[in-house]
Amino acid sequence: MPDVEIKPFSAADETVLRDALKRCSPETLEAALTYRQKGDHSAIPAVILGIVERFLEPETRPRLKEANAAKLRLIEDLGIDSLTMVEIVIMTEETLSLSIDNEELKDLRSLEDVHMFVDCKIKGKPSPSKPVHVGVEEIYETMPHGHPFLFLQDATIRQNEAQATYEISGSEFFLEGHFKHTPVFPASIMLEAIGQLAVLYILKSDHPEFKGRSIDNTKIFFTSCDGVRAQRICKPKDILSITVKPKRFKHPLATFEGSITVAGEKAAFVEEVTLTFDFLPEASQTETEASKKLAHA
Amino acid sequence: MRNVVVTGLGFITSIGNDQDTVLKNLRELNHGIGLHPGLQSDDTPSKVAGLIKDFETPGYDAEDWTYPSDYTVRREILRGLSPQGLFALCSAHQAIKDAGLSDNEVSNTQTGIYTASAGSPGCLHHHMNRMNERGVMRCYPLAIVASIAGTLSFNLVAALKILGSSCGFTSACASSGHALGYAFDEITLGRQDRMLVVGAEDGNRESIIPFAGMRALTPNSDPNTASRPFDKNRDGFVCTGGATTMILEDEETAKKRGATIYGRFNGWAQASDGHNVAISHPEGDGLSRAIELALKSAQVSAADIDYINAHATSTPIGDASEIRALQRIFNPKSGLKPAISSTKALTGHGLSLSSVMEAAFCALALKHGFMPGSANIETLDPEAEGLNVIRETQDVAPQTILSNSSGFGGANTALIFSKYGA
Repeated sequence: MPDVEIKPFSAADETVLRDALKRCSPETLEAALTYRQKGDHSAIPAVILGIVERFLEPETRPRLKEANAAKLRLIEDLGIDSLTMVEIVIMTEETLSLSIDNEELKDLRSLEDVHMFVDCKIKGKPSPSKPVHVGVEEIYETMPHGHPFLFLQDATIRQNEAQATYEISGSEFFLEGHFKHTPVFPASIMLEAIGQLAVLYILKSDHPEFKGRSIDNTKIFFTSCDGVRAQRICKPKDILSITVKPKRFKHPLATFEGSITVAGEKAAFVEEVTLTFDFLPEASQTETEASKKLAHA
Repeated sequence: MRNVVVTGLGFITSIGNDQDTVLKNLRELNHGIGLHPGLQSDDTPSKVAGLIKDFETPGYDAEDWTYPSDYTVRREILRGLSPQGLFALCSAHQAIKDAGLSDNEVSNTQTGIYTASAGSPGCLHHHMNRMNERGVMRCYPLAIVASIAGTLSFNLVAALKILGSSCGFTSACASSGHALGYAFDEITLGRQDRMLVVGAEDGNRESIIPFAGMRALTPNSDPNTASRPFDKNRDGFVCTGGATTMILEDEETAKKRGATIYGRFNGWAQASDGHNVAISHPEGDGLSRAIELALKSAQVSAADIDYINAHATSTPIGDASEIRALQRIFNPKSGLKPAISSTKALTGHGLSLSSVMEAAFCALALKHGFMPGSANIETLDPEAEGLNVIRETQDVAPQTILSNSSGFGGANTALIFSKYGA
């Protein structure tokens, strides 16, 4: 469910809103009214910018007009301390009628992070900067892979990396022949597990390259990998800790660095693994989003 | 032991927001009392207070306030202030400028700040109400630092980047006497070379009106007669807000940097009544002991005192108590006749602010060679017979001054200042 539902906007709400934003620019108030009255999400960046601007010292305000303003860092560039952040949060909550937990603020570094965070919050999507936990059932639903060829059991997705675990059960079908007398988890399957986590990242993260569009899970394929090293023999009952970090994203290619450890020991490393991906057609997006949410509810 | 001197003053008071105006009004006995906009409801017995001019601090949204353009307060500072914080900060900037201190001379490990304020009851009430209405997590994040006793220290230490000692004092109307006294100790003990001492009060409805319920405020709404310490018909005090900053320095430190010196701070002492939570001892027991100890601390005798800035607030009991204390120390039969006045007739009673405000008046009296009169006395209280309560300003330079303060719970402070070079 989205965290925020657009409720009917009453005259009393408008009074509160006008009071909350009394020291913001007229454009900020206008944008906030547009969002609150019409549910128009495109008004949100202007609201956020206006609220942040209101709390800046006069000499810092012009920086918000810089070409690369979205990249400005809240603390280092804008001089926003943690108390000011709380002031911004309270005003944002009152203005957009939502509530924000302290935990959610920890990873917000730049104006861009704030925009994305609020946007996700309003759309009910997981925030890119907040770790998103993906359990085994959700992995199964999300991934194009299935039994007996799915090697992720539990995953956490962050903006800059994804982590997952897989416990080698010993009953994997290929262990019968790999090898005849000693079961050893194949290095090629470790590479497969890294690739699968990269697929999950593509499907679950909100990478800026996707521009909010949804990915077609039937159109993700392996294209290449470089610098593969296997460093440890993995056997039944070992728990693989798999990590991928996005390196380059440019539609239709996504490149990751990947690694596996077992109890802290290096097991495998891939300098680059590249997948190809594609978007769902725009028209069917809303429907798919809705069905996804239903499935997760 | 090191000597302490006064090297800077800053005033945001009902009788002026700069030293020249304060000096003129003290000399000419012009009061700063008027109808207070927060005290005009029908159920308010006294509608007057000492008024701070050129500052508008309605409500508790600091960004709504206006203040003289001589001062600039950044939002990051302003957001943590109650009205008294704004007054205090402006008075501190004024005193720093007056003392000719550079940023480095204010912000170093040898410079500290002691403040006096009872906190801002109105600001606290406002924010607690808002929290109860809007939810705990929407409590204004600066609510506490703007409101509680200590608010002046929190804010001024941050705003002035103080690196030395810092602390807030709360002994009601003796608070800034304690702040001055302990700042004196800080310097004489060699812990600090320089101390800023700041007292301030909001002076708004919430900080004034509860004293009406106590029956401590005068019911008189005539600004010209409402505050009349030592008058036979006095009937309660008039409140005031504002702020005063006094800068104290080790004498050698001050001399080395060529500071202008207002006078010496020779010593201080305190003693308590152990009598009643709010009523002063009828015989002025605590205050007279504080005075004796202060004379000892300053190594002067009662005969050396030629001017006394009295605590006298214009309440029947309080003034009587101080009269008894003064008669005990400066016994008319012994021939001692120090001039006595209460400048609260002009300013109103500044509560936590009053002691440092009056100490600063004493510093002006020492530097400019005059003794301000005790205004508004129509009929001197016969109980004060034999005491030299001066009703007009005297252009006589005092050599040694005693300044008294008494607070709730019977806390009494006595401070002694003297002419520099004397």
